[in-house]
Amino acid sequence: MNSPLAAARRNGELGLVVMAAGITGAAFVLASLGKNSEMPATVVPFLVALLGMLVAAHVATRYFARGADGTLLPLAALLHGIGYVMIARLSDRRAALQTTWSLIAIVAFVLTLILIQRPPDLARYKWTFLFIGAGSLMLPLVPGIGSSVGGARIWVSIGRINIQPGEFAKIGLALFFAAYLADNRELIAAGTRRIGPMRIPELRYVLPITLAWGFAVAVMVVEKDLGSALLFFTLFTVMMWVATERAIYLLVGMVLFAVAAITAHRMFEVVQTRVAIWRDPWSQYEGKGYQPAQAMFAFANGGTGGTGLGMGSPNKIPAASTDYIFAAIGEELGLVGAGAILIAFVLIIGAGLRVAIRADRTFEKLLATGLTTILGMQAFIITAGVLRVIPLTGITLPFVSYGGSSLLSNYIILALLLRISDSSAKRLGELPDELSLGERWETYQLRRAAKKAARA
Amino acid sequence: MNSRIRKLTAALLALYLVVFVALNTIQVARKEALDANPFNNRQTIRDFNRLRGPIVTADGVVIAQSVATPEGSEFDYQREYPLAEIFSNVTGYYTYSFGSTQLERMHNDVLMGDTAAQKVASVFGGGDNTGSVVVTLRADLQQVAADALGEREGSVVVMDPATGAILAMVSFPRFNANQVADHDTEAAENVLAFYNSLDSKPLLANAYQERYMPGSAFKVITTGIAFENGVTSLDRDWPDEKEWLPPQTIDPITNYGGSTCGGSMTEVFYRSCNIPFAQMAVELGPERMVAGVRAWGIGEELPIDLPAPAASNFEYSGSEPIDFAQNLPLLAIGGFGQANDTMVPLHMCMVAATVANGGRMMAPYVLDSTVEHNGRILHRTQPSTWKTPISPTTAATISDLMVEVVNRGTGKPMQLNNGVQAAAKTGTAQLNAAGEPQRSHAWIIGFAPAEAPRYAIAVVLKGTNDEISAGTGGRLAGPIAKTILDYLFSTEN
Repeated sequence: MNSPLAAARRNGELGLVVMAAGITGAAFVLASLGKNSEMPATVVPFLVALLGMLVAAHVATRYFARGADGTLLPLAALLHGIGYVMIARLSDRRAALQTTWSLIAIVAFVLTLILIQRPPDLARYKWTFLFIGAGSLMLPLVPGIGSSVGGARIWVSIGRINIQPGEFAKIGLALFFAAYLADNRELIAAGTRRIGPMRIPELRYVLPITLAWGFAVAVMVVEKDLGSALLFFTLFTVMMWVATERAIYLLVGMVLFAVAAITAHRMFEVVQTRVAIWRDPWSQYEGKGYQPAQAMFAFANGGTGGTGLGMGSPNKIPAASTDYIFAAIGEELGLVGAGAILIAFVLIIGAGLRVAIRADRTFEKLLATGLTTILGMQAFIITAGVLRVIPLTGITLPFVSYGGSSLLSNYIILALLLRISDSSAKRLGELPDELSLGERWETYQLRRAAKKAARA
Repeated sequence: MNSRIRKLTAALLALYLVVFVALNTIQVARKEALDANPFNNRQTIRDFNRLRGPIVTADGVVIAQSVATPEGSEFDYQREYPLAEIFSNVTGYYTYSFGSTQLERMHNDVLMGDTAAQKVASVFGGGDNTGSVVVTLRADLQQVAADALGEREGSVVVMDPATGAILAMVSFPRFNANQVADHDTEAAENVLAFYNSLDSKPLLANAYQERYMPGSAFKVITTGIAFENGVTSLDRDWPDEKEWLPPQTIDPITNYGGSTCGGSMTEVFYRSCNIPFAQMAVELGPERMVAGVRAWGIGEELPIDLPAPAASNFEYSGSEPIDFAQNLPLLAIGGFGQANDTMVPLHMCMVAATVANGGRMMAPYVLDSTVEHNGRILHRTQPSTWKTPISPTTAATISDLMVEVVNRGTGKPMQLNNGVQAAAKTGTAQLNAAGEPQRSHAWIIGFAPAEAPRYAIAVVLKGTNDEISAGTGGRLAGPIAKTILDYLFSTEN
């Protein structure tokens, strides 16, 4: 039962979560003092609730993932907290909603930890995950419930609840890719057929995964959600490369990406507009260029130290609490604050890929790699887009942006990473491998059956 | 697989490095350029939530200040102009939607506390570091000048001839900066649109941004050039003449109202005969005349410390330079301030001040000093000579001629109370062509006391209707100058 290493990880995690909560609380106080803030005192209970949830998430890891990495949850908590303060500072209505989404996300985090205690169990359901992933991707195309916002048809509305199923599809596809590649990676890598100097794998081994990926990208392109398309593209290419250890897949991925990008630019006006305002937002300042221009002004206004929370004018950016939250942070917290966000993501990438390296089973290794790539690439795509390094494609900044679907899916990713990390720790003997809840239940059933049998 | 995962880590780190470099580029390297982007009004928003220092007159009256707005207002401060009715053309306005003008624009950094010196001081002193701007104008005098002018279109400028410091500068019509600085953007926009629709240009400080035909007041300049070049002297006598035919024309030059006019140099000056001055200009010839008017600063923008000053004109007809050698009649008419001559009211005040100041024309200024919050002077304007068109001897001579104008000639309405001797020259610029209803600008320029001048003044009333017709400038503009100068001397100890 006693494991000093696990205890140290959990105590360290608690310390860091408390620190993240402290930073969030302090930022909240500063923001409410700021002149331009719209944050009334009524938001305080929501903040307290959020901080409580973060601590509750930690308590869950104490019980259900004792040996897991101790930095991932605090990093997510820090991003979540800073994002929350910024959302509350921008709109008190959204602060209340974000608290609700946070509750749902943390509950999902805890449930994931409870329900999935043995990562290999997931691999058994790979076709189910493919089905769920592909199905949820198509949901926005269903007439009646699907809807478009800002040119992208990525929303599903059921009653008053709007969700972005794409956020969940990325988990389903990562699970499927990891499981399928774990089973077939050697066959794919071996490449039994030869064409000239190239060895290519048997078609039947690559067909399912290529179809799955092609389907995902096709659906995303139809929905004009180019950010997610880019994300899936990278996910697939990276996982193929890591699994097969063959650089040809990187090359193929890049060529395919170039072809897709050029085709998309030719075919879709929305892509042309995006590229045009990426290159020169000023000439369309009165139109589509307004938002990127305002984001640039926001960053410049922030400078090195930022205007201070509640002292800038991030409300001038139309999508300040979603796609452009990084610019809002850049304005009020400056280079220092925005840099801290980037560093937090770098640390998440480091911790996530360390989980992948420590994992022993191929499935867990690939899954951790895929999930970390999702988090890292998603944050890169949106921050680089906001900073006009690449054309902007609207996706959320994980844990930071306003939005329930995004928060929920990212906390599930976090729980899966912690689960894999915990499982590695047990395998490495860092803490005793106890029976999981499900196993205890089965044991209990077996004992009862045995007793019954004995009595009989 | 682990080696691939490590490479992946490196690749993702490289991507974040690119983002971090981009972040630095925008937030640090390009910050100033983006802050200065014309589309960017974030700085303005921030400024409107910051305290801004006051503008104060020489006699300590606040003419622009920031006042805290009630809770829940769009901005934390409202700019107010307590004497907007008479000072708006000097202070200008400071607005969210329409930018800022005049002193508000030129000394923005001082008022916001943004100069390097103020920023350094605020590190040690802390708190409010806004500066204030002190002008040379006097609130009491400005009010007297505005009242004396009344609702007649025109301008009044009063200055210290020895320094160039402007003590009063007022025009009618003018605008009210409070209406433009209103945070109700729509109301402010309507006011601006209304002001802009008027031909009389109330948004311009007509006293230094507009120019009018000077008429006989220009004779001070012609006389100065003629004395400097030895073309005339106090001993010269001019025959009584009703008309004179200059070269190259069959159209004779006449005196005002077709009168017969002549006599000594002093007499023709105070009676304001036209023909002698036309003859002086022709005798000087194009080269010396043009060089002469340039020496008085005509053709150059006035060196006042306010934006967009106008330049007086002698050599141009529209945008075309006049070939005086081929057009001597125009040179002759220009000699007494008609034809293409146009003078900025402030410039005419400087002309009088030059005579008063022994021939040295000082650069005019309205900024006395900029002051830090703790009272330390940031900058104080040092008087400087702009032009020296005439020698002290010539100045003394012209001063004597101008005294005679007040005592015996067209400037009698400017005879001051309590025996203070004034010197002046009047002008009536005829604007109407033959056969049209009479329309004239009425001028008077002068200084007092004549023996040791402390104040120079110029008054112009625009000839917008036939009110200024038979009368000469002295009769209409003279009493305004007298009121102002009498007030000045009555308030002195």
